[in-house]
Amino acid sequence: MTNSSITKQEIRFRLKSSSEYGQSSFAGIVSLFLAIVFLLNSYSPAEGSFKPAVLTVSIVYFFFTLLQFAAWYLIRKNLMETGEIKRSTRALGYVLMLSLLSANVFVATTAFQLVKRKKSASYTLAVYMLITTLLVFAVSALNVFKPYVADNFLLGMFLLILSAVIQLIGLLLVAKYDDRKVLPGWLGLIAFLLVLTSVSGNLFALGLGLLIFSKLRDKDYTSGSKLGDVIEKLSRSSTSMLGLMFILFLLTISITSYLTFDYNMAVENNYSSILQSPNLAQPLGTDNFGRDLFSRIVFGARISLIVGLLSTLIPVIIGGGLGAISGYYGKQTDNVIMRALDILYAIPGFLLAIAIIAAFGASTVNLIIALSVGAIPTYARTMRANVMLVSTLEYVQAARAFGSSDRIILFKHIVPNSIAPMIVKSTLTIGTAVISTSSLSYLGLGVEPHIPEWGNILKLGSAYLETHAFTAIYPGLAIIALVLSFNFLGDGLRDALDPKLD
Amino acid sequence: MIGHATTTDNGMAERIASVYRKMLLHPTYRLLLLLAGAPVTAIVYIFYQYRRSAQGYRGVMDHERSELLQSGFRDRLLSEARDQLRRKHRFFGNSVSEKHQEAEAAKIADLKFDIRLKERLEERLSGEKGMQYSFGDTYQRLAQQPLFFALSLIIGFPMYLIMAVYANPYMKYIAERLVMAIFVIFGVAFVVFTILYISPMNPATNILGETATAEQIAAFNHLYGLDQPYLNQLWNTIKGILTFDLGKSFAGNELVSNAISNKFPVTLTLTVISTLIAVLIALPIGIISATRPNSFFDYTFMFIALLGLSIPNFWQGLIFILNFSIKLPWFPATYNPANWMSAIMPIVVLGTGLTAAVARMTRSSTLEVIHEDYITTAKAKGLARRHVLWKHAVGNALIPIITVIGLQFGAMLGGAAVTEKVFNISGIGSYIVDKQFIPDIPAIMGGVVYTAITISIVNVIVDLLYAFFDPRIRSKMKQY
Repeated sequence: MTNSSITKQEIRFRLKSSSEYGQSSFAGIVSLFLAIVFLLNSYSPAEGSFKPAVLTVSIVYFFFTLLQFAAWYLIRKNLMETGEIKRSTRALGYVLMLSLLSANVFVATTAFQLVKRKKSASYTLAVYMLITTLLVFAVSALNVFKPYVADNFLLGMFLLILSAVIQLIGLLLVAKYDDRKVLPGWLGLIAFLLVLTSVSGNLFALGLGLLIFSKLRDKDYTSGSKLGDVIEKLSRSSTSMLGLMFILFLLTISITSYLTFDYNMAVENNYSSILQSPNLAQPLGTDNFGRDLFSRIVFGARISLIVGLLSTLIPVIIGGGLGAISGYYGKQTDNVIMRALDILYAIPGFLLAIAIIAAFGASTVNLIIALSVGAIPTYARTMRANVMLVSTLEYVQAARAFGSSDRIILFKHIVPNSIAPMIVKSTLTIGTAVISTSSLSYLGLGVEPHIPEWGNILKLGSAYLETHAFTAIYPGLAIIALVLSFNFLGDGLRDALDPKLD
Repeated sequence: MIGHATTTDNGMAERIASVYRKMLLHPTYRLLLLLAGAPVTAIVYIFYQYRRSAQGYRGVMDHERSELLQSGFRDRLLSEARDQLRRKHRFFGNSVSEKHQEAEAAKIADLKFDIRLKERLEERLSGEKGMQYSFGDTYQRLAQQPLFFALSLIIGFPMYLIMAVYANPYMKYIAERLVMAIFVIFGVAFVVFTILYISPMNPATNILGETATAEQIAAFNHLYGLDQPYLNQLWNTIKGILTFDLGKSFAGNELVSNAISNKFPVTLTLTVISTLIAVLIALPIGIISATRPNSFFDYTFMFIALLGLSIPNFWQGLIFILNFSIKLPWFPATYNPANWMSAIMPIVVLGTGLTAAVARMTRSSTLEVIHEDYITTAKAKGLARRHVLWKHAVGNALIPIITVIGLQFGAMLGGAAVTEKVFNISGIGSYIVDKQFIPDIPAIMGGVVYTAITISIVNVIVDLLYAFFDPRIRSKMKQY
């Protein structure tokens, strides 16, 4: 009896400590869910038949889901028998990688993790970097079915292929050399090329390049930096990496769309193709003015990202500064600043935004200001609490004893050490800002109606809910995916940065 | 009997005087105390000055000072300070002008001198008479006279009221919180009014049309008081908010307070119901997730919660209408107060965010509490799992959850505009949105400020609940 309970515990330990096991169950479940969603969508009750295109996608997803569950079963069996995953099981990962062709990133990223026995942050970053570029390439390539393409389409696609090739080489080299303690010097050249490819917006490449540079310079003398630690921890959480990947995918496609997408498709009316259902030329259909929804959503990503980032960055800086001053100087300064912010805090952010927009008119700039003002007090409170905590630490006293001025103590010693909760909080609230932006646009108070922004697209689509529901569903899905990604990333960052978990 | 009565009398006077003395230490309360009891203050002050001069306080002080000066104490202090300053500046490599340094040294020396002087004075006075002469002591001496006490009760009644509030920590906490809330409410009125005042929009042309003449616009502005100076308008607005009379709206010529009192209850009812339902659903989910961390159940529910946080209300509303009103005719698509079925979808949509936030918070705060030492103790004592969880863990985990509920309720009330627009509910949110295109200043003012006031009141209640639920906060309250 005792014996079996020990082995039971041991089995549980073996399963829990294997990252592949957890990842493959996650990927299998998500993939199964997606396959079912596609299957349900392929059936049209009105005609009582299946749409062949969607049904094919569903079958492909079911196929890879089955494979994924087979891999999951094998991993489980191997772990229970020997406590280690066999080479043959890992080889199955190469087959699972093919799921990337069906855009099943969940199974694909798991496959990349499965084939490598010793994982590192660099390898994970390299995988996500390559997948992001490939996805951007695939989505941009959908434009070839359109009657015409943007002037710089070929140039853009060529650059994307070029960076994909460089990143593939980077991935292979990282997989080969990353286990070594000291990297060969010529990897610096690859790292430089990778940093160059990050101009497309694929910041994974930037991160990987910098990681390689720091490892080259370090030559195994130090135990690594705090930032390296955070990246290492973050790369182990597959949900936050997937979230980050979707955010960077949108960032990359927003930047490359200057070359590969035609803005006219998104804004010029085309009365010959009004409210078309999804087809090859218009993958997500058209709206009531005949504009291509796919292009509109791609261009909408730009606005959502810019508004979301700016309306978080501005209150972080202003609120953070006020909170830092308030927490450091205390007494009357603290009293005056915090009481003034209490007033702002009492007005719900959304109502304040409506009031500000009512006063100054609806435009993108006013929208950013309106959303920023309401968010200042929360950041000020977070920063104040941190600064008050850090100011009591010994190194601050040491700096004071050494005669540093208040300004230097505050901005050189205290602020950098109290910034972590601000990063986590801001990542989690970018999502809220994206929702607020689209909600205000939906009410007609946000971005100007002629700009393709997700809330605006939804507002137009909601009028055709009964007949052409897809015009309202797709932009909504884009919003949810972006917000969910920021939330996953924020949760991952919180786990990675939380000092309590150390 | 009589003797006993006097001692209790004296004891009470002492207690009152100690409260008085404590309040004198706090700058805000000192001002309040001295002002509220102005006649009493005047009498005490006269006695205070009289006693000081009568007992030769000034004379003693002058004497002590000259004695100290003559002994060369100040010169010693001065040279010491000068020396220390010179060394300090040399160490940090600062170059400071001789004059500046001298002034700094004199300041330090004076400070030390005064401290020493006071010490000697106190030493001597307590040695001679056994009594010091502070303002508070004077009050105590006077309060021990029943006649003065009775008189002061009559002429300084407000002062004693404030003292009674101050003496009780709970009352003091509640009073301070209420004062804060009132300050915030006035602040909100000021901020919202100022934003609308500096607006570059022109309601007159928006209502009268582009073709309106200058006279028509001037007449419109005069009618609604828009031509008055800023402070006048601000005063009128604040007065209007307090007396529930904000005048007529620019468009439609209806009384703003009437419109708000018709629409506000609709929003409030919906948000309160959906808060209650959300909390009822979220608490068990969060607690079960926390008791089985990292299980399939936990992952699934926390993923759904995260999804709930990520769905925009208006999209969720549209999808609900599409599925449950158009495809399946279960619920009506628009809200109708007479039909409770029509309220279900709005309540669910409004409550989604709160359910998600509360479930996540419940999970993390219960998890945190479960790992505390006292839970281990409770388990070690042999208590049943269920008992440990419900009796020891959940109660303490509730405290941060209450905060989240309060915050989210505010956000829900503020963000209700979107849901109201989707389901065509004539609540306060959609009222503000409809009025903002003009912009109809009194209507927006009223809508935003009354919502903010409601949220402030909810926050006060949450804070008070806190104080009575959390023993840590209660003990902290007693200390200060």
